[in-house]
Amino acid sequence: MAQLTLKNLGKSFDATDVIRDLSLDVADGELVCLLGPSGSGKSTVLRMVGGFETPNRGAILIDGEDVTRVPPEKRPTGMVFQSHALWSHMSVAGNVAFGLKLRGLPKTQIREKVGEALALVGLEGYGERRVWQLSGGQQQRVAIARALVLEPKILLLDEPFASLDQHLRERLREELRDIQRRLGITTLFVTHGQDEALALADRIVVLRGGEIEQVASPDRMYRAPQTRFVAGFIGSMNFLPCDMRGGVSDHPLFAVRATVPDGPVELAIRPEALTLLPARGTGARVHRVTDYGTHLLVDVDLPDGGRLKAMCPPSARYEPGQEVALEAGHVALFRGDAKLAEVTVERRVAVHV
Amino acid sequence: MTDLSSSGTGRAGGTAHSNGRGLTGLLLVSAPVALLGWLIIYPIFNAIARTLFAPTQTGTAFSLDTYGRFFSDGYALANLWLTLWVTAVCAALLLAICLPLALYLRFAKSRVAGVVQGLALFPMFVPSVILAYALIRTIGPNGGVDLVLNALGLPKINSPYLTPWGPIIGLVWDNIPLTTLMLVAGLGAVSDNAVEAARDAGARPIALLRHIILPQIGNAMLVVLSFTVLSIFSAFTLPYVLGPASPEMMGPFMQRTFSQVMDPRMAVTQAVITFAICAVFGAFYVRSIAKNREARR
Repeated sequence: MAQLTLKNLGKSFDATDVIRDLSLDVADGELVCLLGPSGSGKSTVLRMVGGFETPNRGAILIDGEDVTRVPPEKRPTGMVFQSHALWSHMSVAGNVAFGLKLRGLPKTQIREKVGEALALVGLEGYGERRVWQLSGGQQQRVAIARALVLEPKILLLDEPFASLDQHLRERLREELRDIQRRLGITTLFVTHGQDEALALADRIVVLRGGEIEQVASPDRMYRAPQTRFVAGFIGSMNFLPCDMRGGVSDHPLFAVRATVPDGPVELAIRPEALTLLPARGTGARVHRVTDYGTHLLVDVDLPDGGRLKAMCPPSARYEPGQEVALEAGHVALFRGDAKLAEVTVERRVAVHV
Repeated sequence: MTDLSSSGTGRAGGTAHSNGRGLTGLLLVSAPVALLGWLIIYPIFNAIARTLFAPTQTGTAFSLDTYGRFFSDGYALANLWLTLWVTAVCAALLLAICLPLALYLRFAKSRVAGVVQGLALFPMFVPSVILAYALIRTIGPNGGVDLVLNALGLPKINSPYLTPWGPIIGLVWDNIPLTTLMLVAGLGAVSDNAVEAARDAGARPIALLRHIILPQIGNAMLVVLSFTVLSIFSAFTLPYVLGPASPEMMGPFMQRTFSQVMDPRMAVTQAVITFAICAVFGAFYVRSIAKNREARR
């Protein structure tokens, strides 16, 4: 298939830098998710790769060939838009066949390829329907088939499932992952849904203010975030401000030992890294218990006025106001935006405040 | 078990009829409907009746004499043909000028588009009679263009003033803003993503226009065409001031038949024939609007 290289890309709109010196390599057959909050520049990067925006600086290479100034109609890319962007005056087959007709393929070959593409996305027999007769999910499948039928070297997806409901989104992303694996097509996927990125990607690129914050596998991105921004952006994270003195944190509930310079830090603990135990004298009390079916999420008010979230098994029984002790399995220490250390915490048992 | 059944008689708020909103609505629409009936519907039927019933010594009698005279009069038919021809040429020229303009205004991202839009809408604020005299002063005999050509030692232009091309130039200029605005509104239905998806599939500008944009603004173009035909067919000022004396367009022809020939029944017959032709295009317009509404449901 193909390799995509972004070299020192920069893009400005009205003298405002939207993308700043962004470099990225996407390997052959890899699915990379661009993840970030609104305005982080992820869609701009995708649109530059697709040829819909021209970078002010840097280069875009597909299989080593510079395509930075190549218009979209001549690029070996296929794009799927969030709004489906289907042509309502054409049938489903007409939408999928459009690019093939422009390439002057014989009718029999077009019919065959359209049939294959529709079968790939599970829409056999839907060719003659009008696009407005389809559901949102089916329309997005047609958009995917339309992009894939042209056999692009790079598949670009711009938040393709954002307008769909949760169930459909989950189903379609699984199907997309299967199709992508089967075809081995290099894919760049833009999303602001962290669950989508974690479920789909070989690697996740977190963008912030037009710059790459971290590039890592979903596993590393979730379990070993390199910056405080990534730690807070991916999944839920409890941040507990305290001071390090002589290699030990002075937090009343979590005595974290780490070889870091003295000074203010934030302890970052995932809700699932916390264990709740019924106890007296800790000053930590259950504020609210939310049952998500697969787990309970318990909000705990801390003696210093802070609040944190802990994930518990659904069988656990906690009541609002109940005093609890907390035990953390894994803690990361941040000072400013930089990570200082990752440590396992000793439980401070019998703390009286 | 919770009882979710309902007797169906106790709807909160009641019906529009029961709470008086229906009457308010009827009162609100009654004024415009009454005006429509008084100023448009009644005159139409009155005019048709006046052309169909000729005065006799004993009263009135059904007669198609004025229609017979109109369709057997070579001069009247030449006027009708000229009006149809001018309308067709104007509609074609307007589409040819305004479609590229509207495409530019819809898809251009530059700041120049704002200036172009301002210039395109400018004719809307120029009264027809001012425009007519401005055109006489520029492209009329010994007008501005002739003066410039004379200064350059070149021959004078063959002035379109008092030829069918005079009103064509004026009517096209006058109708550019409205036509452009309607086309831009129609192009609003073509999303940026639909165009980008087509480019992504390999469509170059001509293919994009032919396969994606034009099919999606077909209704808007029909509306534009109907509206343009309706306004140009019934135009008076520009054909009267800029057009030829013989044959002449239906507007000046009606006015002259009424005020100079002193034949009001014949003038009304000309108006009814003009109205019948316009009504065909009006039907296209209404059908297109109805189709649009159906598509939105």
